[in-house]
Amino acid sequence: MDVALSRTGAWILRAFFALVVVFLYAPIVILLIFSFNDSEIPTFPLSGFTLHWYYEFITNGDLRNALETSAEVAALSSVVAVALGILASIALVRRRFRGKAPVSALLLSPLVIPLVVFGTSLLLLFHAISLDLGVMTVVIGHIVITLPYTILVIMPRLQQIDVSLEEAAYDLGASRLRTFRSITLPLILPAILSAFLIAFTTSFDEYAVASFVVGSSVTFPIYLYSALRFPNQLPQVIAVAVVVITISLAVVVAAEVGRRVYERRLGELEPS
Amino acid sequence: MDRPRPDLTTPGLLGLPLAWLVAFLLVPIGIVAAYSFNVLALGEVPHSFTLQGWSDFLHSSIYLSLFWKSVELSLIVSGIIVALAFPLAYYLALSGTKRKYILLLLLIAPFLTSYLLRVLAWKVILGNQGVINSFLFWTGIRSPDHPVSQLLYSRFAVMLVLGYIWLPFVALPIFVSLETLDRRLLEAASDLGASRLYAFRRITLPLAAPGLVAAFLFVFIPTLGEFVTPSLVGGASGYLYGNQIVDLFHTGFPDWETGSVLALFLLGVVAILTLVFSRFLQPRQVVAD
Repeated sequence: MDVALSRTGAWILRAFFALVVVFLYAPIVILLIFSFNDSEIPTFPLSGFTLHWYYEFITNGDLRNALETSAEVAALSSVVAVALGILASIALVRRRFRGKAPVSALLLSPLVIPLVVFGTSLLLLFHAISLDLGVMTVVIGHIVITLPYTILVIMPRLQQIDVSLEEAAYDLGASRLRTFRSITLPLILPAILSAFLIAFTTSFDEYAVASFVVGSSVTFPIYLYSALRFPNQLPQVIAVAVVVITISLAVVVAAEVGRRVYERRLGELEPS
Repeated sequence: MDRPRPDLTTPGLLGLPLAWLVAFLLVPIGIVAAYSFNVLALGEVPHSFTLQGWSDFLHSSIYLSLFWKSVELSLIVSGIIVALAFPLAYYLALSGTKRKYILLLLLIAPFLTSYLLRVLAWKVILGNQGVINSFLFWTGIRSPDHPVSQLLYSRFAVMLVLGYIWLPFVALPIFVSLETLDRRLLEAASDLGASRLYAFRRITLPLAAPGLVAAFLFVFIPTLGEFVTPSLVGGASGYLYGNQIVDLFHTGFPDWETGSVLALFLLGVVAILTLVFSRFLQPRQVVAD
């Protein structure tokens, strides 16, 4: 007899799980169907198959610019956030210092600060120092938001690594920097890549804070938000949605699988 | 003589990350506080410290009732999706299924796709001309003159979309707390004659409680200040506290002083919640196995 679940219980839970998965994916599937539907408005009955909306979005210059701007913002902010995240994680895991609790609380605090509050605060800061709003101000904000995610991904990996590997390097005369480059960095590389992907996708998708500090620049979420108010653009936006969701799902799954494979290989190399 | 070489000292490690957060998180919040006390003001107003903004806020019926509306909506959404996510996590962690990590990834993957695009999907589904209504017209269940109009631009729409968005994420902390549960405790209970229901009530539920509280807060805290989903699918009846803050900063007649009071009040509430429940919010290792 199973102690956690009866047979009927397991059957009911499995059915419930399946139902929730349908609920989670149905809207995405509906978008997929209507992205190929030959009609200006997404309604039943379906009117026929077309690739017109995909063609329109590929040839839509504004949309392409918005995607490029977001890629630029996401690339800049995630590189900086990961770099800061590596520094902070090493300090939190490998160093002893006074005030570690408040320091780590501050580093993780952007996770709980309401984005509407953070967005308005940044707006007031940039107003106070007369900094023009634009791509750079969004990058500054996104670094703050994504930093805690990078720390949460890198820290556990650092904790797994045997300290004696690093100590052996010091004993053999390597500086801390050299030890980091030759020993620590290769071992935490998968976590760094995960952190980078999480930071990149978070920034690429971020609307709330960007809406306050983007000025007249247009990132992809800003474009999407305004497009959602003009129904005549809806079919193209649906086509974009399908492409973006497919790519992000593929990247997420590939990253997770890749990280597990790489860490398993490293695990085989490490002394047990 | 050795040249001094750059090395990774503790101040060297922490300097940049902390400086960034001080400059772009703490200082901005300080500026919001300055606005809320009228020490700074938009335009050429004489600057003197006053509690007028706070006093007006605490005596206003509009702002406070919007705040309670947001609290109520967030409580309902968080409560419902924690209740829905618990059986999902229970199934993954305790049914002994071999594919639990694949199923977990299946559950979480939608959370990692674009937030706005998932809202868009529901806009397409719920509208008066949307998928559900046009399906009802097509099949003749409803006449096109009488669409089910409460679907979009309502509190219901806001709650449905927020629930949809957060459900996958909420399953994660609950899964972690159930996954670490020692099955031998349940076996011992069973050997001593406890029924499954009794063991569930006395062992599983108490041990899963921290995960449930964490999951609840993971949704409650961000939805409390939510303004994007309400502005897209909420209409007038789905207008929340977060929308009010945005409007005080962004409309043709900005009122940054009042907006700052509202923002700081929300931050204070979230800070208190976080401190009170901090032991449930410890970051755990959920990504790696």
